[in-house]
This record gives sequence, C-alpha cells and structure tokens, in this order.
Amino acid sequence: MKKRGKWLALALVAALAVTTVGCGSGKKESKGEKGASEEIKDLVTYEVPQREMENVFVLNTEMAADLNVLCNTNEGFLETNPKGQLVAGIAKEWGTEDNGLTWTFKMRDDVKWVDQQGNEKADMVADDFVTALEWILNAHKNDAGNNTSMPISMIKGAKEYREYTKSLSADEALKLDKSKFLEMVGIETPDDYTVVYHCIAETPYFDTVAVCACLYPISQGFIDEVGVENVKSVGIDKLWYNGPYILTEFIQGNTKTLTKNESYWDKDCKLFDTVTIKLVEDVTVGYSLYDTGEIDTIDLAEANLRAIYEDENNQYHDYLTEKLPNKFSYQMKFNYAKKNEDGSDDTNWNTAIANEAFRQSIYYGLDLTKTYERANMINPLSCENTAYTMKGLVYFSDGTDYVDRVEELIELPESNGKKMRRLDKEKAEELKKQAIEELSAKGVKFPVEMDYYIPAGSQLALDSATVLQENFAECLGDDYIKLNIGTYVSSLTQEVIDPSLQSVVMNGWGADYGDVQNFLGQETYGEETAYYSMNYTNINDATDPELIATWKEFTDLVNKANAITGDLDERYEAYAQAEAYMLKHAMTIPYNLEISWQLSKINDYSVSHAIYGMQNAKYKNWETSVDAYTTEDYEKFAEEFNK
Amino acid sequence: MFKYTIKRLLQSVVTVLIVVTIVFLLMRMLPTDYFFTEDQLMKFTPEQKEEQLQAAGLLDPMPKQLVRYYGQLLKFDFGESRRIQNGVDVVSVIGDKFTISMKLGCTALVISLFVGILIGIIQTLNKDRILDHVGTAYTIFVNAVPSLVSYSLVLAFGSKVLGLPSLYSTRNPSETSILPIVCLSLASIASYALWTRRYMVDELNKDYIKLARVKGTSSAGIMIKHVFKNAFVPLAQYVPASFLYTIGGSLLVERFFSVPGMGPLLTDAIVRYDVNVVQTLVVLYAVLGTLGVFLGDILMMLLDPRIKLTGKGGTR
Repeated sequence: MKKRGKWLALALVAALAVTTVGCGSGKKESKGEKGASEEIKDLVTYEVPQREMENVFVLNTEMAADLNVLCNTNEGFLETNPKGQLVAGIAKEWGTEDNGLTWTFKMRDDVKWVDQQGNEKADMVADDFVTALEWILNAHKNDAGNNTSMPISMIKGAKEYREYTKSLSADEALKLDKSKFLEMVGIETPDDYTVVYHCIAETPYFDTVAVCACLYPISQGFIDEVGVENVKSVGIDKLWYNGPYILTEFIQGNTKTLTKNESYWDKDCKLFDTVTIKLVEDVTVGYSLYDTGEIDTIDLAEANLRAIYEDENNQYHDYLTEKLPNKFSYQMKFNYAKKNEDGSDDTNWNTAIANEAFRQSIYYGLDLTKTYERANMINPLSCENTAYTMKGLVYFSDGTDYVDRVEELIELPESNGKKMRRLDKEKAEELKKQAIEELSAKGVKFPVEMDYYIPAGSQLALDSATVLQENFAECLGDDYIKLNIGTYVSSLTQEVIDPSLQSVVMNGWGADYGDVQNFLGQETYGEETAYYSMNYTNINDATDPELIATWKEFTDLVNKANAITGDLDERYEAYAQAEAYMLKHAMTIPYNLEISWQLSKINDYSVSHAIYGMQNAKYKNWETSVDAYTTEDYEKFAEEFNK
Repeated sequence: MFKYTIKRLLQSVVTVLIVVTIVFLLMRMLPTDYFFTEDQLMKFTPEQKEEQLQAAGLLDPMPKQLVRYYGQLLKFDFGESRRIQNGVDVVSVIGDKFTISMKLGCTALVISLFVGILIGIIQTLNKDRILDHVGTAYTIFVNAVPSLVSYSLVLAFGSKVLGLPSLYSTRNPSETSILPIVCLSLASIASYALWTRRYMVDELNKDYIKLARVKGTSSAGIMIKHVFKNAFVPLAQYVPASFLYTIGGSLLVERFFSVPGMGPLLTDAIVRYDVNVVQTLVVLYAVLGTLGVFLGDILMMLLDPRIKLTGKGGTR
C-alpha cells in the first residue's frame, strides 16, 4: 500500500513539473538575433465579452464593438492615416468653397459591391450615399435612431425629413422612394460619382463626419434583394461588402473572421489574408493564449506586466511595448450643484468648489503619478493629460498640434520625466491657504467632503479609488479635502449622476467629429447641447455669481471660435484661447490618458490613430512581424513617428 | 399513471406560467433607463429615448404588455433580440448555442456518469483502503478548489503539455471540445462518485444484505443485483434533469474557453436588458426544470416498482 502511495505522489510531482516547465521562464530569442522577420498573413487578435459585436448592419449601430469590425467590411468616402488625418479613399477629391456650407465629394469609379462569396453585385455609385442617408433619417426604417444626431444637426432638411417620416404609418414610410427625400434634404448627386451635401450652417469640419457610420453608403440593390423590412436583421451571408474585407464568419460569443476582399478597389494596399478576432474571457486568459501562440497581441494586466517587467530573465522582458493613447481625454469633472442623498443641496461642497483657489489648489497640488502607475507602472507620467481636448484631434496649417498650442498658452513646463508637468507644490500650498481663508469666512467646514462613486463589486475600481484617496490625503492633506468612496450597483448615470450625488467624476470624452467644438461645446453655460454642463457639472444650476461669470466668459470665447469658419488657423487659435481659460480657472481638471503596455506582433505606429470616426481598427496597411516586436523596435517606431 | 401524468402536466403549465409572468413583471419594473447603454444614456435626448421605448412597446400599460406577451407565446413568437444580435429572431439566436451546449454537456454527462459511478463502486469495494482515500481526496480537491483555479490548471496542462487548443472553435469542434468537456466533467465525476459510494455503503449495511450473505449469495451477486440496483435509484431521479440542464450550458466553462453556448447567454441578456432573450430563456429553463423533475419521478418509479407516485406525498 505504501509503495502505491509513493507512485501516486511521484506521478503527481511529475505532472506538476511538466506543467511548470511548459509554462517556462526561459528568455526568448530576440528578433535582432534572428534577423529581419516576415509579416503576418493571417492575423489573430481578440476582444473581451463586454465588447462582443451586436449588429452587422453598419448604419444601425454607433457601438465601437460593432464598428471596429464593420469598418473593415464597409467603406465611406475617406480614410484616416496613422496620425489621424483624413486621406483620400473612395473619394478622390473633396472640399468646400463656401466655408463649409456646401461640401462636394468626387468618387472613384472602380469600387464594387460584393457578396459574401466575393461575387460582384453592383458598382458603387453616388446614389448609394443617398440611399443610406434616407435609411438613417427614415423614422420607420431606422426606428432605433442610430446615427441620426450628426446628420440632423448638420445637414439641411434632415430633421424635417425625420419628422415627416414619423408622421407616416410604418407601411407608408417603408415604401417611400427617394423623391421626397431628395426634395427635402440637402443632398444631391449631379452625376454617378459626385455627391454634394448642403449644411445648415457653415461647417468647416463636415468632411471629418465622412469617417463616421452616419455618412456610409448602402446599395439600393442590397435593400431590394433582402427587402427593406429585413435590412436590420440580415445575416452576414446576405450582406453586401465594399470594404477591404468580407465578414466570412461570425459566431456570437466565439469568433469573427474577416477575409480579404479580392475585388477591393485599393490594389496597392497591404491586407491580411484573414483576420480572426477571438472572444477571450479577459486579458489574463488572453495572456495564456499569447503564450501558446494562439493570438498575436495582448494587452497586459497589471499583475502580468509587473511579473514580466521585474524579472529580467522573463522570456517577454525585452518584448514589452507601450501602446499609444486611445481617443479618450479623461477629465476630473466637478459637480457645481451637488445634492445630498435626501435631495437637499450639499452647501458645503457647492460653496467650496465654486471657489477658484480651491479648484486651482487641486490642479497644481494633486500628484496623480501613483494613480497612473496602476495602468502604466513602467512609464506612468506618459498618462498625464495636459488639456481638455485630445491630442491629435486637429492641427494648425504649419503642422502644430492644437494641444501643443494650448500647453503653450497655459505655460505648461516641459516634462522632466520625474514629476507631472503641472505640479507646483508651492503654488498649491499658497492657493490652499487662500481657499481656507476665503471659504472659512463663508462658513465652509474643513475637511471638505468629496464624494466619488465606483461600481460596487469591482476590486479594480476600488483599488484605483483607494490610491486616489491616498493621493488626495498625501498631496493636499486630510484636514483639507476628504475623498469618500461610494458605490453604485449597475448604472452610474441613473444611481449617481441623475440624483446629482457625486462631487467629482472622472470621465473620458471621445470626439464624434474632427473639431474642437465637439470637446469644448460640451462644457458651455446655458446651452442645452452642452452634455457635461447639463448632466455632470450641473453648472446651469450653480448659484455663485463669480463662478457663473467665469463660465459665461468661457462660453463667449467658445462661441467666438464657433463663429470663425473661413480660416481654420484662426478658428483653432480662438478655441485654444478658450481652452486655456478653462484650464487656468480649473473649471475641469485634466485627469489621464489611457496608455497601457502590451506584447504584440503589430506595429501600432502603422495603425490609424484618429481621435474621431470609426476607422482605427481597419486592418489596412498594418505592419506586422511573425516574431514579436521588442521594446527597442517600438522605441525606433516612436522616434520615426514623432519626427 | 395516466392520471398522474395529466396532473403533473397541468401543474407544470401553471408553474411555467407563474415563473414567466413573474420574470416579465420584474423586467418591466426595472427603470426604463436600463433599456439603454451608458453611451446611449449619455448621447440620446429625452425625445430620442422616448421614441425608442415607444417603438419597443415599453410605454404601454403593463396589462396590455402582458396580454400581448401571452398572445405571442401562444403563437410561439418569441420576438427579436435587441442587443445580443440586434434584429435577429430570438429562436435563431438561441438555436445554434443550444446545440453546442447540449453536445458538450451530454458528452460530459455521459463521461461523468460512467467514470463517477465506476469510481464510486471502486471506492465502495475498497472501503477504507488506499483507492477509497484517493477517490475521497479527488472529491475534496474538486469541491475545495475554486472552479476557476482547476480550470486554469486544466488549461495550462492541456495547452502547454498536451498541445491542445485553448479556445473552442466551430471549425475544429472535436479537438477544441476536449478541455471544456474535461472541465465540465471534473465536478460531476466527483459528485457521482461521492453519492454512489454513499448510497452503496448505506445499502451494504442493511439487514437484507446480511441475510443474502448468510444465505450464501456471492459477493458479486450481492453488489450487482441488490446493492448497486438499490443505490442507483436515488441517483437516477436526477439523471433526466441533468441531461436536460446540459442545454443551459455552463457559464464559467463556456466563458473560460469561449464556447459560443447557452451558458453566458442569460446573464448577458439580463445585463444588456435584452428582454425578449431573457423571457425566452426563462420559458425554456422553466419547461426544462419541470420536465426534468417529472421524468426523474417516472424513471425512479420504473427502476423501483415499490415507489408509488400517485399516493399521498408520492411526488416531489
């Protein structure tokens, strides 16, 4: 009996040893040692379940999870390059001659619609853009109202046409041909390959909307084939494609496969033979898949990153690469009309946050380095956000990034790589004293309680909030501000924002189109279209006259910039002045950029990084390597990219 | 028997109806904001929100909605999915997933029944000896270690050492099903082994077994004809339900190996407020649940004629 026990123990040990050896920690041979590497032909990437695709019809969705796939199967007029700038695509030429009131797009004549088997179905013509816009604006065809907001706010007659179709019965609206639409809406097709849009007002950024789904085309032939009532629920086998890939497989909860479209118009571009997107439970499971070679790229969770970074012998130590920021600019948004849970006004907070010195003391005094380390332990300061608008959104004609100009206006010091650029402890201390003096006179009690809400049950969010709480205590003192961490069950909007319980929210804005107005316009005073003012900051309900005056001045500056439509440099300069004013008065405080680390066989610097639109996951002209890129490779790419 | 069947069927219909109605009402009691994603809540105007709710019929009075729903149920019209696969018929959404989960689940269940009962018998035959202890250790290990940890071990061993694919693929279902099936079987093998051993040991201690021994019946005869037969009866009542429940899939295993099955569907549908999918799944699970219990009772009665289902307290 003892002998048998021994054998069992030995077998168990052997199994564990084999598993451990399999998991391995031997250092990987670097690409440099093997020489130049070949490119990947069949890319395998991943998504997590929360980002599973829900719609396959491009006009019926605004969700990034859908559009990240559909931007490969459908194509509009224009494309974006790695720097996020617009470049010609299906439209060979485009422009406006009246400061953005009328926009003309001249199309290529060699674009084809194909079916899932790659058989050519029809030529792509100007009328396809008319068909698509009619479908979007027809309230019975597009009853969910997806992609309507930008056309309605920009294109002449769009709102009226939607209202008109609402007044019809479903049967009548579904049977409508395009004659009434063309009569009412500001779109025309002088010939088969030219589309002209008439905007409600001068809209110098209208061309940036061309990379959004709301201006994508569909063929009338496709609608006729599947039936207008079935367009939304059509399967991938019935879709018509005009993009670089065809969606040949979609197994919900498992896999999506894109296969190269042999009839794609751009014969010179670089495409993969196939792109497979696997659904992976989370990045930790994904890391195992990367390890076994089943996927070609993986974002690293904090624990994996730490384990690899701190062990020089780890096989992936030299392969850690820093990602580029995504399109969201995160801000610390204060609530200027906060309420208590019983619905009464939180007077102590509202009085404190209305004080400019109080806000500025946070701006200059709060060191967020430890918060940044949570996502980026290697290079935390790269996550520092310096402005309200996201870098890369727009450029002056001399190539200067708009955000660089804002930084210049607020006199932001250059990075020394050791501390946050805006941090100024002496100034913060002075402002703190001033705030205490001014606010004590108004009866404010210290410490000022600052309520911050996170999702209940999320350890990740709790850990990050705890770090933030410590940041406040260490940098500004427990006697000055006390950050309270509250929780919501399932919806921040319903449980916290609607009853106005939060003192502060960290929220990221991603642009809908390529103009600063889309950022700053969310913060203006007394305007219903200003999303953040109406919901998060509640500035319109604030009562402090000085605070309101500051906001009104900012709003005037934004509106002055909005009115400049002829000279884009002048327009951007005016916005930069408004944004600098906003930051100097700490109306909101830039919080962070999302920059994490990864192991990857994809050169991120060859991928589109547009701050607006839907094309960043378009697998076109991507540089890849069958061997993973090293940290050194990425440093070279970055240097080249930033030249 | 016929009377019993009719009675149980009627009871089942009422049970399913009550469950479905409660879930319907609970879903409608949620604030309508749950209908929208956080992104939509951010960007939609109140008018746009109302437009969508109106189109979905969620602004109609509750009784009207309920009657409409019953009418649809009678016509087997389960509606369209709104979020899982927008615009696609719910039956189609569930259809493929149903087959995949059932294939994996049934394979795992057959393996579990065979291996689990075999282990239980071996443990009973070797009671208090090394094989019994090994079996008990396995049962304790499987129950004590969190599922995700044991799945991770299976994944690491299977993919690293045996070179098996880590994710399920419909292109290569046989090879990619191995690891999910192993994980699905782990706990049920332990459960069947535990209960088989327990019921068999109980039977072995009964007087009629002692009598059989005294009368000179062989050990094998006692084990097969008496002990196992009687010990299997309480286990058998759960077998039909177990087979039916395989359709529901396993949330953890299917998520872990990206199996496009039924497991994560209900939670996904609830989180995304995909009302039609939630309601259809509830109908399905309620039907399976009542049917499982019913079939279990019948099977138990067939295996042991002493059990009467029609008498007082005869049914579960």
